Amino acid sequence: MIKYIYIFINLFFYSSLHSESIVKAGESLIWDSENKSYTAIGSVEFTNDIFYAFSEKMVAEYVEQNNKEVFTKVELFENVRIELKDEIFEGNYAIYTRDNNIIKLTGDVSIQSPTRLLKGYELIADIDNNKRILNSANEESLVEVLLENNASN
Amino acid sequence: MSKLNKNYIINFFVFVLLLFQAVIYYYNVNPSSQIINNKSMTVENFSSIVLGNSGLTKIGSEKLNKVNENNIYLQGKSYLENDDYKIYGYDITINLNEDISYSKKSVKIINSMGTLDAKGFKNKDSEGKIFFEGEVIFRSHD
Repeated sequence: MIKYIYIFINLFFYSSLHSESIVKAGESLIWDSENKSYTAIGSVEFTNDIFYAFSEKMVAEYVEQNNKEVFTKVELFENVRIELKDEIFEGNYAIYTRDNNIIKLTGDVSIQSPTRLLKGYELIADIDNNKRILNSANEESLVEVLLENNASN
Repeated sequence: MSKLNKNYIINFFVFVLLLFQAVIYYYNVNPSSQIINNKSMTVENFSSIVLGNSGLTKIGSEKLNKVNENNIYLQGKSYLENDDYKIYGYDITINLNEDISYSKKSVKIINSMGTLDAKGFKNKDSEGKIFFEGEVIFRSHD
C-alpha cells in the first residue's frame, strides 16, 4: 500500500513540475533566439495549465532558468479570447505576465461567466488572488473578488 | 574529270574525315569528365560538421548533393544539429555563404524549450531566426 502511495505522490509531483504550454499558429511562427521570443501569426492558440487563449497574433518572450527556457510574458493581439475556468475574457489586446500571474486586457473588453456579462475598456485579472478589476467607459472601476473560491482556500 | 578536280575532291574528303574525327573526339572526352564531376558531387549516407554563426553544426542526410561552391542539398531524410537546436526534416538546402538553410517539407525541431512541428522552415543563422510557414505546433515543457 505504501508503495502505491509513494508512486502516486511521485507521479503528482512529476506532472506538476512538468507542465506544458502549447502554441498553435495557422499561418507562421518565428523563433527569434537573439531576442528570446516566439511570434505566431494567424489563428493563434496558446494553452498552458492555467488558461486557453486565442488571437490573431501572439508574441511570447522567454528566459533561461536552470538550463531550461520558460515563457515569462505572452502578448496577444486582435480578437483576443481567453478562457479561464468558467470565465471568458475578450478584448483587442492582452498581456500575461508569469511572475505575478496577471492577465491584463485592453480595448473593447468583456468578462463573461455563467451568471453575468460585464463590459469595459480595461480588465485586470489577478489569477492568484482571484481578483478582477474592470474599468468601464465612465471611468468607474468595478472590483470583483471571487469570494466563493477564496472561501474554500 | 581533270586531275585538279580529283585532288580537290580527295582533299575535301580528307578534311571532312578529320572534322568528323574531331567531333567524335570532342564528344568522347566531355561526357566522361561530366561523369567524374557528378560522382564527386554526390555522397550517400553523409554526415559532416560545418562552422556557422551559431557555432559547429552537425549535418547529415541520406544523400548529399553539392549544387555549387555555396549550396549543398541534403536529399531525403536529413538533419542539422548544434547546441541551440536539432532540426529533423527532408530535402534541406543549405547556403553556406549566407548561413541559410531551408526546406518546404515537414520538419521537427527540438530546442531547450520544447518540440516544434511545421510544414517547412527557413533558418537564418546570421540573424538567429527560424521562420516556419503554414500550420505550426510548438509544445514547450515549462
